[in-house]
Amino acid sequence: MFSIVQRGQHVLNHAVTLIGILSVFIALSSYALLQQGGAFNLPSTISGVSPQATVRMSRRFGSVGSKEKENNKLTFDLQADLTPLFNWNTKQIFVYLTAEYPGKSEGSSNKVTYWDKIITSKDNANLTLQNEKSKYSVWDVEDTFRNREATVKLEWDIQPYVGILISGETTGEVDVVFPTPPTGEEARAEKMKKRQQKQH
Amino acid sequence: MNLRQQLQQLLTLLYVGTSAYMFWKGLSVVTNSSSPIVVVLSGSMEPAFHRGDVLLLWNRNERSRVGDVVVYEVNQKAIPIVHRVLREHHNDKKQLLLTKGDNNPVDDLGLYARGQNYLNKDKDIVGTVYGYFPFVGYVTILITENQYFKYGLLGLIALSSLISGEE
Repeated sequence: MFSIVQRGQHVLNHAVTLIGILSVFIALSSYALLQQGGAFNLPSTISGVSPQATVRMSRRFGSVGSKEKENNKLTFDLQADLTPLFNWNTKQIFVYLTAEYPGKSEGSSNKVTYWDKIITSKDNANLTLQNEKSKYSVWDVEDTFRNREATVKLEWDIQPYVGILISGETTGEVDVVFPTPPTGEEARAEKMKKRQQKQH
Repeated sequence: MNLRQQLQQLLTLLYVGTSAYMFWKGLSVVTNSSSPIVVVLSGSMEPAFHRGDVLLLWNRNERSRVGDVVVYEVNQKAIPIVHRVLREHHNDKKQLLLTKGDNNPVDDLGLYARGQNYLNKDKDIVGTVYGYFPFVGYVTILITENQYFKYGLLGLIALSSLISGEE
């Protein structure tokens, strides 16, 4: 004999199983679609990367106990069409510009983010940036990281409506060398110059 | 109703409880994470993750990558935080991470413990998010934050157990 409770339980069980199977299908299909659209091999052009270094003394810039901490920022040009990353299971893509550089000791390595962007629609996925400023002022675990050679890349991470998070990188890359920050006097001279320009 | 029937019911209840516990702990062993499934509690990763979304974690990776979404606990505090890795610095022995919420204007330095400048991958990271299921975790938020819902649910369970007992 059937009762209402039993019937409800059966319906619920059935619904849960179906939703599970459907989710797995959607997740698999989105991976296949990405593969098919060449998402793991997307071209990008990063150019005009120009890093600038400064010396900071606040905790917000990585300084500990008001000790001098080297920071750097950069400006860059970027051209990348990320539309193939969008399919029916893409809720948003997180695009970020990274720099990878070796550390002081043997076998150590670092990777930092300079700029990132959340893209939620296919219409905004074709990126053309000119002279874009980095979002973050970057510091290292060491007090200084000047003269190290870094590889700059554009990477992405897909947040799905349901299923697996998929990430990858675009093919474009460019090498830069981190600069030396201007000395106190140079920085002061630069500031004066800017102030004079403003007055004119 | 006799005693045997009641004992049987108790046994079934225990069975459900222990199998759920075994599933949870088994998953913990497989994923190497103390909390392999978490529910998002804050909006700091919107629009990727909203409150109530369920995340599946994996903690057998040797190192985190920049761009990974990780769950971490500061000082083993009870509240796990879901944020994205902004920077990583590693050598052969350990890896240091700086994180940031997608929806937050600044990095997580202010959320870390006093004097802590980085997260330690081995000590602080509960797991890396690899799977996502929307909304279903909202029940747990309702239970912990809304007492009417909590007692309503308890009442409903009690009622249904009474009804099914009479058959």
